Order: sequence, then C-alpha cells, then structure tokens
Amino acid sequence: MSDRKKASLLVVVIDTNPVWWGQRLVDQPDKSLTQFLDSIMVFTNSHLMMNHRNKLAVIAAHTNQSCFLYPRAESREAAGGGEPGGAAGAHDGKYELFAQVNEQVMEEVKNLILTSLEGHSETDSLLAGALAMSLCYIHRCEKESFTGEDLSSRILIIKGSEDNPAQYMNFMNAVFTAQKQNVTIDACILDNDSGLLQQACDITGGVYLKIPQPSGLLQYLLWVFLPDPTLRLKLTLPPKAQVDYRAACFCHRNLIDIGYVCSVCLSIFCSFSPICSTCQTTFKFMGLPKIAKKKQKKLNP
Amino acid sequence: MAEDDEKGYRWETEYEKSWEELTEDAAGLLQASVDEIALKAKRRKLLDKLGNIRLGMMRHLYIIIDMSAAMEDQDLKPTRLHSTLKLLENFIEEYFDQNPISQLGIITTRNKRAEKVTELGGNPRRHISAVKALVTRSCQGEPSLQNSLELALQTLRHMPSHASREILILFASLTTCDPGNIKETVKLLKENNISCSIIGLAAEVRICKKLCHDTNGRYGVILDETHYKDLLAQHITPPPATVSTESSLIRMGFPHHQLGSDKNGHEKPSMCMCHLDSKSTQGFSSTGYFCPQCKSKYCELPIECKACGLTLVSAPHLARSYHHLFPLEAFHEMPVAQLDPSVSRVCHSCQAQLPESNVYVCGKCQHIFCIDCDLFVHETLHTCPGCASSRATQMSHMSL
Repeated sequence: MSDRKKASLLVVVIDTNPVWWGQRLVDQPDKSLTQFLDSIMVFTNSHLMMNHRNKLAVIAAHTNQSCFLYPRAESREAAGGGEPGGAAGAHDGKYELFAQVNEQVMEEVKNLILTSLEGHSETDSLLAGALAMSLCYIHRCEKESFTGEDLSSRILIIKGSEDNPAQYMNFMNAVFTAQKQNVTIDACILDNDSGLLQQACDITGGVYLKIPQPSGLLQYLLWVFLPDPTLRLKLTLPPKAQVDYRAACFCHRNLIDIGYVCSVCLSIFCSFSPICSTCQTTFKFMGLPKIAKKKQKKLNP
Repeated sequence: MAEDDEKGYRWETEYEKSWEELTEDAAGLLQASVDEIALKAKRRKLLDKLGNIRLGMMRHLYIIIDMSAAMEDQDLKPTRLHSTLKLLENFIEEYFDQNPISQLGIITTRNKRAEKVTELGGNPRRHISAVKALVTRSCQGEPSLQNSLELALQTLRHMPSHASREILILFASLTTCDPGNIKETVKLLKENNISCSIIGLAAEVRICKKLCHDTNGRYGVILDETHYKDLLAQHITPPPATVSTESSLIRMGFPHHQLGSDKNGHEKPSMCMCHLDSKSTQGFSSTGYFCPQCKSKYCELPIECKACGLTLVSAPHLARSYHHLFPLEAFHEMPVAQLDPSVSRVCHSCQAQLPESNVYVCGKCQHIFCIDCDLFVHETLHTCPGCASSRATQMSHMSL
C-alpha cells in the first residue's frame, strides 16, 4: 500500500550543442538531432507511464544558454492560448499529456535553435547552468509535493559535446547540492568521455554510461535509465568505470599525483613556488623555524 | 574590560511590539506571515555574510562537552545531554561536509577532570560513534574549564601554524572548578593563537565571556533548542583567519582509486591501513586508494597517510570548500511593480509564477528569481543558475 504514494521526478538535460550535432550530421547523415529527440520523447513518455504521479521536466543545455523545454513557463502558456490543447485533440486517441510533452519539447527546441543561429558558437555546452536550474526545479517540486507523498528525484544528462573546464566550480557546486538533496545524477554519453560527469555520477550514486551504439539510444535509455535508483540494485547494469579523482594543477592543467596546495585559497600547484598565483600570498619555506608574527591588538581599558 | 562593542542587554532596550508585525491572511491564518518573517530573517542572515576576507580553511577544532551534573537538567528535552549529543551528531556531519580537509576532536569534562574522548582526526564516523557512546555515560560533579582547556591546548599548540586552531565548549554549568589561575590559561591560549567559543546552556557567565572575548571567539547563550541549533550552525562555516595564521604550501597526494585487478585480471585483495587493528573483515578487499608516495592502501579519503604522513585528498574534497572562498553575491530585492512589463513574471530557475510582492534579481546576469530559489541558491547551491547558463557570466566569480 505504501508504494502507491511514491512518485518520481525525472529531469532530463539534453545537450543541444549545435557544433557537435552539426559535425555529427556531416559524419553520419542518418542520425540527426530529430531522431535522437524522438528516442528521448519515447523514453520520457515511458517514464510518465510508469506511474501516474510521475513528473517530468526537460531542460536544454545549449551553447550560450540553458532553458526549460518542458514544462513551459505558465505565463507564456496562458499567452499562447488553448493551442496545445487544440492540437492534442487532433491526435485521436493519444494520451493528451504525451502529446503535450512531445509538442512542447519539439517547439521549444525549434525556437532555441532558430534564436541562437547568430553569433559565435562554442564546442561545449553550459551544463552547469542546466544542472543548477534542474536542482532549483526539484527543490520547488519537493516543496510543493503533498505531505505523505514520497517524491524521489533524479537527473539524467544526455550529452555529446566536450567538457567545459571553465564551469568546473559551478558544476561541482551543483553536484554537491545534488548529493545533499539525495538527487541521483545519471549520465548517458553519446560521444566524448566526460571526466566531470564521471565524478558527478560517482558522487551521487548514479549510472555513467558511454553508449557504444548511438543508434540504439532508446534501448539504452529504456533498459538502463528508466528504472528508479531503488530498483537498480536488482538489475545487472554495466560495470562502474574507474573514476579519475586526480586534480589538475592550476598552473599547467596537468593531472598530478602529488601536488602543493595553498593553505589560504586551496589552489593546486604542481611545484613549489614562493607566491601563490591565485591569491598573491607569500609562503614561508617549509622547515624554517617558526617565527610567530606578533601583532598586539590594542584594547581600550 | 572593553565592553563598548556590546549593545547592552535586551531588557534595557525599547519596548518592542512584536505582535503587531503579524497579520492574518484571507483565510484568517497567521502561518503566511510567520513564514514570511522566517524567510526574511534567513535572508538577513545571508546579507550579513562578509565577502573577501581570509578564512582559516584548514581547521583544527576541539569540542569540549560539559558532562557535569548540570547537564542532567531537563530544560531541554529529554535532558540537556541527550539534546546536546543529538545536535552534535548533526554538527559533526555538517562540519566535515563543509570543511572536508579539517580535523576535529572531542573532550569531556566532569568530576573536575577532563578526558579526551577522540583524538583530532578527519573521520566523521569515528567521532559520531564516540558521541553516540557518550549517551550511556553518567553526568557527575563539577566541570573544570581550565583542565579541559589545558588538555586541548596540549594538542592544538603542536598543530601547523597555517591551520586555524579552535576550541568550542558546550557549557551547561554555572561554575567551574579549576586547579590554578584560569587567566594564565586564557593568556596561554591567546599566545598560541587558539580561538575559544562557548555556547552556554544556562546563563551568561563572566569568565566564559572574558575567555571568548580575549581569544576572539564567540559567546552565545541558548534560548531554546532551535536557538541552540542555530548557534552550533554558526561554527560550521570556516571562521576568518587571525592575523598570526601563517600561510604555506602544503604537500598533498591525490591517490587513484584502483579496482584491484592487475594487468592479467587477477584480483589481489589486501588489508587497508585504516582498518589494520580492527578484528572484523572490514577493509579487506581488492579495491582502494593507494598513496602515490608509499603505496599504502586506504579505503576512504581524506586521510593522512599513516606510513609517510602525506595528506591524501581527492579533487572534489578541495572543490567542496571553494564556495566559502568565492561566495555568491546577494541578489537585489525588488518590488514586482518595478519590473519591466515585457519581462515574463516567472522565476528563471524553477519556472514558478512570481508572487505579487518582491522578486530577487541577480546583479550579474539580471535574471529574476523567487524568494525560495534565492534562499536555496545562496544556502545550498552557491551558484547562480542564471550566471552559470551564460557564457559572459559563468566565470565571473573566479576573478578574485
């Protein structure tokens, strides 16, 4: 009886980097973003079908912004009039919610791509922003859920483009928040292995999977990522990859085994230098006798 | 004694009509306005945080728990001791979550004596189990402030000079039984750059106040259990570093996590260094972290290598502390009426309809947020969702 009250919120973050998808289209013309979106929509519909309390959000991580694809902001919904409802009627016999999800996602992706045609595109996506937004959305849903209802949330990231090292701090902050809020982060990697996501999945206890056959995306999504984290213990999932937790030094971006850490700002360096390049602190050399600098604070009697 | 910085006692101030702030909502309930006051208070607390000060990131903290007869009082339910230990468990977890490369130790004092329960160490589980075990101990006699301070001092004075040395005392008694002149001890603490903070469970005591004042600590007396929790929570974030804290480069190792099977696929299980003296089979496995200097095996990080003394951490441990160093700027409060009508009235991060009252605007990316997200972003996330989803602003808080 108790499991009736269980609901699951799934936030899907889709990497819609135009550079990566464009390159892909050149290499393999038969596998376009549209086909991938179709697979993802079947997957999201299946998630909604598992339990009628299940909730869904879809967020796009684009090259210069992150935005919600579903649910669309309520005020814009109202402005758009009853159009989605009317269109849903045309799909005879189709469950209205599915039609609504699919149409909104398609429409918003179209909007997103059309509005960002101009300007300079980078080869990486703003994943940290999308993650931060999903965590805020999860936070709101958990607040709004009824007492007695057990809402478990997770985030699935479907990513093809490269890592963005500039977002390291934002990304890690989001990952630690997810860990604190008991949100599992899963990653489905289409192309480039991502060190950041490996750490994120390992810290939050999610599944990291680089799919060997991108054309079989739907299969992987349904088999690996559809079951709830509580159910996964009973499944035989792909083995965990070895996670590289080594740090990159701030001076050369090399991965190091032994390094020096500044006691003031925790910057990591690969060799000893007398001045910290991040916070300009001068260091004393180790092994010198301690000379405590005394500064008497004057107290008024 | 310099007391001009004190703002005087509550009963000396103006008469406050605190009930007039409460207004009923449409349904005749007070909950909405109570919630609002609570949220406002939280926001004010966030605004109080100072930026750009040097923090003592590597903390060495001794917690001194008063286990005297005064701890058996039942003004906190079920007893002061139970309540304290319960809160302490949470505190220890939070402490290590927020200060992953710091250390902590526990001392108790009763019967005029001080006793070390745990040595300084970085393993939260060991401390928590020690705290749990304290529940069964009986509280007796008088506490000794001096004895316990001396005991903490003995260890803390040998800690490296770049670390921040702290003592936190949870003090229930109104008296202390000391063998010598406690003022000498206070002076010694001050010389050794150790800051002492006290949370009093009963009433303000002069020697406690003097101790905290002289050593740059904080002194607080609890009102009730929630206030107790708040006072404890203040000690979770790293304190500003004192002038005489030195800075240095610390050598640290970043070990690999190895799954154990070698090139030929054979697994070679071994004992890890952290569980060497345990009688159970725990710690006997083929996976673990290997010290890059001496190849000793450990099952968890962060830890100081027992064989070669190298501090072993992983990159996320350091990353966990970065938000203290690069705090997120507070958002500006703005009434909805002042908003540009063309902007959609939706919170940027959670898509909720904005309320009729105030909204919060990030100074950098100009996105608008609701109060729930504002608090969540500043208390937990430490990253502005608007800034992180734009190329121009994603790096801005790195530019120190």
